[in-house]
Amino acid sequence: MFTKRRTVLAAALMLGTALAGPGAFAQQTEVDVLLFSMPSTLGLQKLAPDFEAETGIKTNIEVVGQDVFESRITLSFTGGTGDIDVVHTPAIQVQRWVEAGWLAPLTQTLSGMPDRDDIIPATLDSFKVGDDHWGIPFFAETGLLAYRKDLLEAAGKQPPTTWEEMLDVAAAIHSPDTAGVVMRAAPGQGFNMFVFPMIMRAYGGEFFADYPDDLTPTFNSPETLSALDVYIKLLGEYGPNGVSSFNFPEVVAAMQAGQAAMTVDGTSIVSQAVDPQKSRFADQIELALPPAGPAERAPALAVHGLGVSASAKDPEAAAKFVAWATSKETMTKLALNEAYPDFTRASIAEDPAVKEKYAGIQADFLDLRIAALQEARSDYRPLLPTWPELGAAMGENVNAALNGMMEPQEALDAANEEMGYILGQ
Amino acid sequence: MTSVRASAAMDRSYKLMLLPASLAVGIFAVAPLVGMFVLSFTDFHLIRGWSGKIGLQNFLRLAGDARFLSSIYVMAALSFFGVVAQVVIGTAIAVGLDRIVKSWRFARGIFVIPFAVPHIAVALIWLSLFTPTLSPITAFFATFGIEVPAMLTSQTGAIAAIVIADTWATTPFVMLIVLAALQGISPDLDEAAAMDGATRIRSFFLITLPLLYPTLLMVALFRFIETLKHFPLIFVMTSGGPGRATQATNYYAYVQTFQSSNVAYGAAIAVFLFIFAGIISFYIARSNARLSDA
Amino acid sequence: MGKIRLNGVNKRFGAAEVIPALDLEIEDGEFVVFVGPSGCGKSTLLRLIAGLEDMTSGAIVIDGKDVSNAAPGARGLAMVFQSYALYPHLTVAENMAFPLRMAGTPTDLAQTKIARAAEVLNLSGYMDRKPSQLSGGQRQRVAIGRAIVREPAAFLFDEPLSNLDAALRVSMRQEITELHRKLATTMIYVTHDQVEAMTMADKIVVLNAGRIEQVGSPIELYDTPRNLFVAGFIGSPKMNLIEGQEAQVRGASVIGIRPEHLDTVAEGGWEGQVMLAEHLGSDTFMQVETQAVGMLNVRMDGEVKARHGDKVRVAPKVDKMHRFDAEGLRLVH
Repeated sequence: MFTKRRTVLAAALMLGTALAGPGAFAQQTEVDVLLFSMPSTLGLQKLAPDFEAETGIKTNIEVVGQDVFESRITLSFTGGTGDIDVVHTPAIQVQRWVEAGWLAPLTQTLSGMPDRDDIIPATLDSFKVGDDHWGIPFFAETGLLAYRKDLLEAAGKQPPTTWEEMLDVAAAIHSPDTAGVVMRAAPGQGFNMFVFPMIMRAYGGEFFADYPDDLTPTFNSPETLSALDVYIKLLGEYGPNGVSSFNFPEVVAAMQAGQAAMTVDGTSIVSQAVDPQKSRFADQIELALPPAGPAERAPALAVHGLGVSASAKDPEAAAKFVAWATSKETMTKLALNEAYPDFTRASIAEDPAVKEKYAGIQADFLDLRIAALQEARSDYRPLLPTWPELGAAMGENVNAALNGMMEPQEALDAANEEMGYILGQ
Repeated sequence: MTSVRASAAMDRSYKLMLLPASLAVGIFAVAPLVGMFVLSFTDFHLIRGWSGKIGLQNFLRLAGDARFLSSIYVMAALSFFGVVAQVVIGTAIAVGLDRIVKSWRFARGIFVIPFAVPHIAVALIWLSLFTPTLSPITAFFATFGIEVPAMLTSQTGAIAAIVIADTWATTPFVMLIVLAALQGISPDLDEAAAMDGATRIRSFFLITLPLLYPTLLMVALFRFIETLKHFPLIFVMTSGGPGRATQATNYYAYVQTFQSSNVAYGAAIAVFLFIFAGIISFYIARSNARLSDA
Repeated sequence: MGKIRLNGVNKRFGAAEVIPALDLEIEDGEFVVFVGPSGCGKSTLLRLIAGLEDMTSGAIVIDGKDVSNAAPGARGLAMVFQSYALYPHLTVAENMAFPLRMAGTPTDLAQTKIARAAEVLNLSGYMDRKPSQLSGGQRQRVAIGRAIVREPAAFLFDEPLSNLDAALRVSMRQEITELHRKLATTMIYVTHDQVEAMTMADKIVVLNAGRIEQVGSPIELYDTPRNLFVAGFIGSPKMNLIEGQEAQVRGASVIGIRPEHLDTVAEGGWEGQVMLAEHLGSDTFMQVETQAVGMLNVRMDGEVKARHGDKVRVAPKVDKMHRFDAEGLRLVH
């Protein structure tokens, strides 16, 4: 309680000191970069000397835990201290940060990039607020289906292409040893609300009447109710014991240990299920596009990019760093150096070296990933400034329904009402 | 004359020596507290900023906020069951080590281990123990065909799970303090009671326990205040769920402050917690003083 | 009643034998003092009788009843601890009531007993105080009071006066003696102070290394110590023990002469030099270095003019001389 409280206060107090401003002195150009820890960002940190060699600009890249990250940027931005030039910008934060005036637009930088069309549209559009782009993607995660080939074959079933089929396959293969399906369920905008919209969209559910023009919440629509019923039935009837509190680590573990036969989750999660070093059933697990529904296929999308702080000391140098970090060359190196293919440029999937490296997972893994990303909508999760709050309201109510604490309709109504309240309607 | 002046100078220099510490306390302890109180009367929002409004609106909103009220219920359950379990078990182990098992030095080392485990690690350990697909406990009972119910999928179960994890991690603290207190109680008293015809149990309840009472009250107070600050266990083990069933007040303050950017409202919740903890501490400290005087 | 018999009582801590098997009879109403140097096992023996330690073997019989396996509280004994062991959270009255409460004594009867004990011990004005508000002597009395109210078969005292200052010790000593006369209850009293032993005891048990060296009245021990240990332990200043030629001519391996049984003489005796002279008025203590028998402690009645360096001759009262054989046992004349 006290640490949190201090952080809040410190943030508030920093507002006062903002007037003092940073003392800028001309020296060698430096770019201060704050990232939070993920394989891609750690890999980027290792490549920093290349940037310095190319441009003569010195970089100080600091990679911190996600919790530290939140308080650092809050302090830095609210205080306008200028100690961060380039900031790790999760797409779900971008509207909020833009509204608060914390970011500088990167539209110009983007138009100056030689091969901008190579960037997968949904990932780039995630950073578009108004007419400007406020970040350039370097990481994208999408949703894929992972299933146990052996168990499906034994039951004479084809891999499900729709959620309806998924219910049918789950019923056929569910056994006391191996649950039919496992999915994350823990309440949170980044937890159950990372996977549930895949079902919701497949059934034609939408968060709002007409995003982004009409933000009347429509989370209690009949379409979303159908989706919630499917989600509850999948996990309730064919999920492992206790699944309704699972988060992604439990999902990964259940797949790796053979306690569940299918999951739909992010690429980083499903690729751990097929990693022979971690998964006992790696050779039996196949990946496929996530199930579709009557309305569409809506693969999940989580995008991280780099943004430039509105109080950057040298915005030009900072933008240069962002362009370099999101370039095809750097991204290719990352894909080769690190364990995961997080790249956001379609052409990298065609690079022979990259192809070879990831062929071990599954021959068409990179193609599936790109296909899913191409189908994904940039508004998979509507990136409103209030999204963290909206996502929590929906995720918590959905989880309550999943745990039988509320009726599905009741939960959706409650979430919808809260959304309206949050949006000031 | 000279000596008076000298001692006055001395006095001044003592005060000067206190200055750095006072400043540090002032800056790091008092200033954030003052800031918190100030914020709680504003409508400061992380994104929208402050409209200039000052008043009691946050506190009025608290009174009618169902989520806040239910967070108090969660907090009360976590605190009550946690403190009771920790004090009872900690005292039982301390008494066992001090009065029953003689090779206690060795045993004490083992019992203290959980206390050295960081909160996040405690949370991760217990999260896996309470996750049926990961838990060795579930696996063990499964070999006998017994299915251990999932704890984290109901409010009662999830609260119990957090209480158990918290108890596991912090009982050693209680145990160490009670053990120290026990070692301050002369073994002669137990022998005197034995001579006076008391059984060991009566001797414990009539002599040892009353003498431990001030210590127990103190340690319960410490633990109580700590349980008001529950956060890592909730954050890692339940994410506040199922639904919102384990969003204790402190967690709710976090949700309001960081998730919803309602900094002022979060500060108001923190102020509430601060005053609540203060009132309870005052009553416990007073009854402790009364006990030691009497 | 309070007749206590120890039969072959033996105590080991692992391999160490703290009390080799010993027998002892304590008569009803006797005031028995266990005395010996620290570590001699006197406290352990008392605790064995109390039941606070378990015997390794042997039997303890109180008034004809074997209590060897009885709980401490069931032996009908009361104990006064060196630390007093008063319950700090209880008042004087509650402390004294505690054993009665344990025994289930009806309240009004308990009240009467407590009031009577308080009167005897001069505690009536302090009944509502906590032990921390009392002086050392008062705490001692409360501890005794808590023992008295039980009307035990015997009282056990474990060095009860060692935490008191010298003056208080003397007066408490008298109070306890007085109490014994009044109650006529068996008392077993452990001390390392032979003055307490001599002044209080009906019967002294001298212990050394867990063994009983001698049992007897104070004067018996003084007059006829059974062996060298008792001879050296009882009496202050210590008995002079002389080996060699002087002993051999008297047919002994060692002879002993108490300081008060040495006189200065004009002729004969042993010649020596005064090394130390302490003038107490009533007595004069001297240490005399002699050629023949080494250093001698000498005690003279009244004031004797003697100073460091004076030449003196000292001679023993032959009829008061003790003789010991090579094993250290007393030789009978």
